[in-house]
Order: sequence, then structure tokens, then C-alpha cells
Amino acid sequence: MKLTLTFAFVLILLSADAQTTISGKVADPSGNPIQGANVYLDGTYDGSSSDENGVFSFSSSETGLQTLKVSFLSFETYSLQKEVTEMGALNIKLREDVNSLGSVVLNAGTFSAGDNSKASVLNPLDIVTTAGAAGDYIGAFQTLPGTSNVAEDGRLFVRGGDASEANVYIDGLRVFQPFNATANNIPTRGRFSPFLFKGTNFSTGGYSAEYGDALSSVLLLNTIDEPNLEKTDVSFISVGLGVGNTQKWKKNSLSINAFYINLKPYQEIISQRVDWIKPFESLSGEAVYRHKFNKGLLKIYGGLNYTDLQLIQEDIDVPEGVNFGLKNRNLYLNTSYKGALGNDWTIASGTSFANDDNDVNIINTDIENRENSFHFKIKLRKRFSNRFKLNFGIEQFINSFSEKGTASDFETFKTSYNNNSTAAFTETNIFFSKKLALQIGVRGVHNVLLNDTKISPRASLAYKTASKSQISLAYGDFYQAPQQEVLKYDTTLDPQRSSHYILNYLYQNNGRTFRAEGYYKSYDRLVKFNTETPEFNSLYDNNGKGYATGLDIFWRDNKSIKNLEYWASYSYLDTERDYRNYPNKATPNFAANHNLSLVTKYWIDNWKSLLSTTYNFASGRPYNDPNAGVFQNKKTRTFNSLDVSWAYLISQQKILYLSVSNILDFDNTFNYQYTNTPDSNGNFARRPIKPNADQFIIVGFFWTISDDKTDNQLDNL
Amino acid sequence: MKIIVTILSLFVATTINAQTSYEKGMTKAFELWENKTPDEAINLFERIARAEKENWLPFYYAAQVHVVTTFGIKDAEEIESRLKKAQDFINEAKTFSKNNAEILIMEAMLNTAYVVYNPSVYGMTHSAKVEELYQKAKVLDPENPRAMLYHAEWKIGGAKYWGKDPKAFCSEIEKAILYFEKESNNDIPFYPKWGMNQIERVQQNCK
Repeated sequence: MKLTLTFAFVLILLSADAQTTISGKVADPSGNPIQGANVYLDGTYDGSSSDENGVFSFSSSETGLQTLKVSFLSFETYSLQKEVTEMGALNIKLREDVNSLGSVVLNAGTFSAGDNSKASVLNPLDIVTTAGAAGDYIGAFQTLPGTSNVAEDGRLFVRGGDASEANVYIDGLRVFQPFNATANNIPTRGRFSPFLFKGTNFSTGGYSAEYGDALSSVLLLNTIDEPNLEKTDVSFISVGLGVGNTQKWKKNSLSINAFYINLKPYQEIISQRVDWIKPFESLSGEAVYRHKFNKGLLKIYGGLNYTDLQLIQEDIDVPEGVNFGLKNRNLYLNTSYKGALGNDWTIASGTSFANDDNDVNIINTDIENRENSFHFKIKLRKRFSNRFKLNFGIEQFINSFSEKGTASDFETFKTSYNNNSTAAFTETNIFFSKKLALQIGVRGVHNVLLNDTKISPRASLAYKTASKSQISLAYGDFYQAPQQEVLKYDTTLDPQRSSHYILNYLYQNNGRTFRAEGYYKSYDRLVKFNTETPEFNSLYDNNGKGYATGLDIFWRDNKSIKNLEYWASYSYLDTERDYRNYPNKATPNFAANHNLSLVTKYWIDNWKSLLSTTYNFASGRPYNDPNAGVFQNKKTRTFNSLDVSWAYLISQQKILYLSVSNILDFDNTFNYQYTNTPDSNGNFARRPIKPNADQFIIVGFFWTISDDKTDNQLDNL
Repeated sequence: MKIIVTILSLFVATTINAQTSYEKGMTKAFELWENKTPDEAINLFERIARAEKENWLPFYYAAQVHVVTTFGIKDAEEIESRLKKAQDFINEAKTFSKNNAEILIMEAMLNTAYVVYNPSVYGMTHSAKVEELYQKAKVLDPENPRAMLYHAEWKIGGAKYWGKDPKAFCSEIEKAILYFEKESNNDIPFYPKWGMNQIERVQQNCK
């Protein structure tokens, strides 16, 4: 009997696992049922999936206060704490996860290249497989709308701004001399090898408050966090050779690479318009060390570059030409740390340092200058929720420049300045829903040299108009201190200013992207001077102003034709400015009204070949004819160039590469130089400014040596 | 005394019951997967994972179902979001089991899925990742049959593409067979053992 009682008692205990039924309905914000949502009591096995009507029902033996969780792809996980007995006939509305695919993106003004960015228009490979870019990462950006084709310069000219208005950042830190030193009309290249970078943001306007001291554009490059594998890369090209090696151990990795370029053999075979005495020769080395901590990543980058060249530059006023020699040594160091601090706080901090040393020789004048630049930044970010994030940080820039000039028939002159500034910024990101997002920021800068403080607001707003399309708006004020060429003679000027107003439309559908962006940009406080170039006795003021307005169109299609990817860019630009020594407002020489690029990449499977072509067109560029009454009133012929490259994969790790620029041999003229004084008939004679060579041919062989035998350098070409 | 024994045995019985709810759940999840309701299987694996706290296996299988499911669908957005979710599950599995060859093999398969789905975007970047993951897995567990078999299949795919002889890797399939036979019967329930039935398919390349 006792035994039976005990049994009964125990049985009752066991069956006190009385079952409660938990039921309800799951829907999206607009009330449509969600099928397949995972509904469960947190910490138990009890749960089920919602059916096609969003309905779920399951029983549980749990009692008391419990947490019900509902999760589904691309929605935020829902959580409800209640007595189990009250969990009947629930009506659950899931909130969309604003981090998921298909959310609105704050993209006005920006082109991203990377795997993980939702607004990506280029992938990392594109940057380096674009014909005509010849391994220079800047070359690929020059095929995007908003840039002007200025082939004789090689730098970025964005939306009516000159090359000095665009700044480059690596891992959030300023790069002070991103381009190789070169002579007039000899196009430069980016200093950094493309294989160090995994993602890029190219902003043609309206960029974040985190960045300043640039009137037009910022290019943000991010180095690779973790290289995939250990390997050695060897490259032989017709103008030089390179070697690279990557090692990984424990939580560390080190990549080093070195490149030597000598254009002498090439220029002996192919005739050049320029008379080289010492053809371009450059030696560069780079190293990146990375260390992973439990909660963060440290990266140290160092690059050293040495360039030497000498040539006779044609000059209409100097019949024998101008003898120009340049030796440049550039050292760049960049250390950054990114990590989590817990409680949804993250930190990004770092320093960059550059030492740039030039020895320039122009006829009998010898100019030596040296610039040391330093940037420190610390940025904190707090994620309050997926929908609300706050960034803030401070920056310090220290810059010192000194120059000494010696001329045989003139006394030695010296100039120097220290240009230091401190900046603070804050920015917040708010997602009201998956459809509407806002970013508002403000930046304050105090420049010690100019004794000036400026506050600049930035804002952008994006709204999803349909599942594949969105519109966005951006506004911002931007300040930039005068350039070195002016600061070395006058430090009493104010920063120059621009304001951007941007309206963007974006459509993305399964491998097809259409992007149209209209903008208006105003310039004021531009630097003016009363001599042809800035000189020590010129008179300087801040009375320049101008505007740029235009429309940028981008279309990319990876789907319609098998193995073919292409994109087309068109930019319309209307700009005028009164700056430098302009007598009145006029369109500068670098700003053509129409720019068009068509880039194609066709993979021929049977031949294991990637065939790339790039066609560039620019309408005539304005130039000044002193024989005409009106300043900057003439236009050159249109610019045309068709560049072709062919990468043939001999085997998985060996690539043969051939690239020919301007294969159709278009005759292009960038500008004209007129004599300073008229001839006896009162006419100013002129000479055209043309490319140094109409075509450029590169033949290369790239070999990757790694254990797995699959990696190759296609992503570096 | 008898009573105590009875009560004790009852308690033991109930605790065994509690233990096996994990096994019941896992078995159910595999059934759901077999019955072509992968999303319900994933949901159940995820529920088990959340209830179990420190067990990497349910996360591992939730990831596997997502990865395998992407091979049968076309919609780019769905593939991307499944692979993203699978990577989240793998990351969670890794927090409970560091240096686990099986998780690395699953991650290699996940990266393979990216390459298969969009070679022009993910080919270059993710191929190197796949290779590295298999190599790492083989260092951690040199006789893992899945690492041997799927790495061989991956390399055969590459060789075929490059017009080389895929048979160069057939000896690795033989090795995989050997490892499958030798594979120790791990005491841990639901420890990964799958893959043996794929040998025939991979071996087609050797004929």
C-alpha cells in the first residue's frame, strides 16, 4: 500500500509537468503572415515553426515566467517575457532587420568596392582588371562617373575640382603623398600596390564628418585584415620587376613586396615626345604586419619609395627646352588598431607619418624641400541598437615644411611653415525602418597656422522607394587649407570652402545596377594670386569663387551576356570658377563638359583568358588663347582612347599579360601652350600639349608560388 | 528500502528522459531535414543550440542545412542571406569548440557555395579561403575522411577547369575511403560521420 501511494505521489509529481499550449500568429510590419519563423521558449526544447498562415502552436511543460523568442531571416529576433499561461493567441509583429540585405543604404556621393557592402558597384577584382589602369588602383576609379579624364596628370579630378581637392586615406588615416612624384605632363600613379587592399570607398561628394580638409572627394582604402595564405609572387614586366611574399604564423601575418621600375629600355625602343636624359626609375618597398588580439586587430604598414628622373621639357618660350630633374624619397608609416571594448563600444585608432624629400633641378635652379606630416586619430563608436549608432572622435594633424632654393645667379632663398590642426567630429546613424535612414554629423577644425576655426555640418538621408530602388540626399560643408605651393609664401589666408547638394537614385537588381546622381557644388574663399604661378612676391587673397553642377550616370550589367561584365559611366559637368590667376570666372582646362567610359571584361573560358577593354571619351577641354579676346574661350578636340588588355592564364598560377593603351592610336591634345610675348605680327604662337607617347604597351609574366597551387595574381593586374 | 530504490530508479528514469530530449530533438531535426523541410530542421537545430548552450553540434548542423539548401536554389538574395546565416552559426559553433576540423570543413563547404553561386564575384577571393580551410582542417585532424574527400573533390574541380588530369587526386579518394573505414566510433552522439555515401559520386571523375 505504502508503495502504491508513493508511486501515485511520484506519478503526480511527474505529471505536474502539466502541458500549457503556446500559440499565436507571426506577421511582418505590414501584417503579412511570416512562414517558417522559429518560435521557442528560450532555454528549452519547446518550440515550433510558423505555418503558411504565420500560425504556430506548441505545448510546453514549463511554468511561470518564461521568455518567448521568435526569429526569422532578415528580421530582428523578437523577445517576450510573460507567464506561460498567458502565452495563448499571441499576435507577434517582427521588426525588419535593418542590417539585412534589401535595406536602404546611405550611399549618396559614394562608390563602394568590396564584397560586403550592400551598395557595392565594383568588386575588388574590378579595380585591377580594368584595361588602361595597368595595375594602378586609381586608374579604375577614373572610369567612374564624377571624374574627369585628365590623362596627362593621372590623379583624380572630381566634379569640377582639381586634383588637390581629393584626399586619400588608408585604414582611416591620411595618406599625405598618395601619388608618385613626377614632372609636368607625365602622368603619375598611386604609390601603393593594389593587392594590399580589400575594400574601397570612393566618395565624389557629401562624405562623412570623419573626413575633412578636402573640397571635393575622399578615397578610403582598407588594407586586408588577414591574408588567405602564405605565398610568393614574382612578376616580370616590360618596364620592371617585382617580388612579394606573405607569411602567417599564430596570430600574426606579414606581407612584404618590392617593385623596381625602369622605363629606359622601353623608351629606347618606343619613341617619346619628351627628351629623357634619365628615364623614370623607381624603387619601392612595402610591408604590412598584422596581429590579431582577442578583441581587436593591429596593423602596421610601412612604405618606402625612391624615384629618380631627368628630362628636357618642351617649352615654347625656351627653344632648347627646360632641363628638369627630380629625385624623390617618400616614407610612409601607418599604424592602426580596431577593436571591441565590450558593451557594444568599438574603438578605431591610429597614427600615420610621412616624410617626403624632394630634390628638384630646373635649369640652373636647385630646390630642395622636405615635408614631415603626422596624423593621429581616435574614434569611438557605440551601437545602441541596430537602428541607432553613434560615432565620435578627435584628430590631430602636424605638418612641417621647409624649402631651400639655390640659383647660380641669385641668392639662396628659404621658406618654411608649420601647419598644425586639431579636429573633432561626431556622427549618428539612425534607421527609422528598413526603408528610411538618416546620418547626421558635424565636424569642427581649428587650424593653428591660419588661426581659424570652422564648423561644418554633414547630413544624408536615404529612402527606399521600392524593393530594388532607393533615393538619397546629401548635404555638407567642406573646408580645405590652401596648398603647400601657396602656404610656403603666405600663411595669412583662410581655408577654402565648398558646399555639396546631392540627389541620388539607385536601382539594383540581380547583377544589374543603375545609378544616377545630380549635384550642385558651390565654392568660395578660393585662393587667388596675381602671377602666373604662386611666387614669394605674389599678392594672395581669398576672393575666388565658383560652382560645379552636373549629372553622373552609371550602369553596370553582369548578367545579360554570359561571361561578360561591363559598365558604362557618363558625366555631364558644368563648372566655372575664378581662382588662381584667372581674370574672371571661367571653366578650367581639366573640366570637359562630357566624359564617357565604357569598360568591358570578357572571360573566354576555352582560352582561359580575360579580355578587357576600356573606352574613354571626353568632349573638348577649354584652353586659353591669348590671341582671342575672351579668357579660356577655346576648346581642344575631343579625347578618345581605347585600351585593351589580355590576361592569359597559362596555368592556375602563371599569368601572361599584355596591355596596350590607345590601341587605335587616336591623336589627343590636352591643352596648348602659348608664347609669353607676341611675335612681330602681334600673334602669340602655340604648341600643343600631347601625351608623352600616344600608346603604352606592357608585357608581363606573373607567377605565384604557394603550397596549394590555386592562388594567382589575377587580382593584381 | 524498496521504496527508496523505486523512487531512486524513477528519478534516474526521469533524468535519462531529460538527457534524451537532446537526442530526441536532434533525431527529429534530422528527420525534418530528410522529409524536405529544411527550414523546420534549421529552426529545430537552432532551438536545440540555444537550449543546450555550450554544444557546437546543433549550430554545426543548422549551418550545414543552410549550405546544402543553397545548392538547390537560384534566388540570389535568398542564397546570400542563407550563407550569411550559415556563417553566423559556424561562428557560434566556433566559440564552443576551437580548432575543430569538422567546423573548418563545414566553413570550407560554405565558401565553396559562394564560389559555385557567383564565381565572378567570389571566385578569386573565396577559392583561396576554401583551400586554406581544408589545409587547416587536415593539420588538426590528418585522418579526417571528409577533409580528404571534399578537398580532393575541390581539387578535381580545379584540375578539370584547368584542363589537367583530375585523376591525379584519385589516390586521395582512396585515402578517404580508408579513413572512413578507420573512423573511430566517437562516443559523442551526433558527431559528424556523414560523407561516405558521396564517395561514388566523387569517384565518377576517376573513370
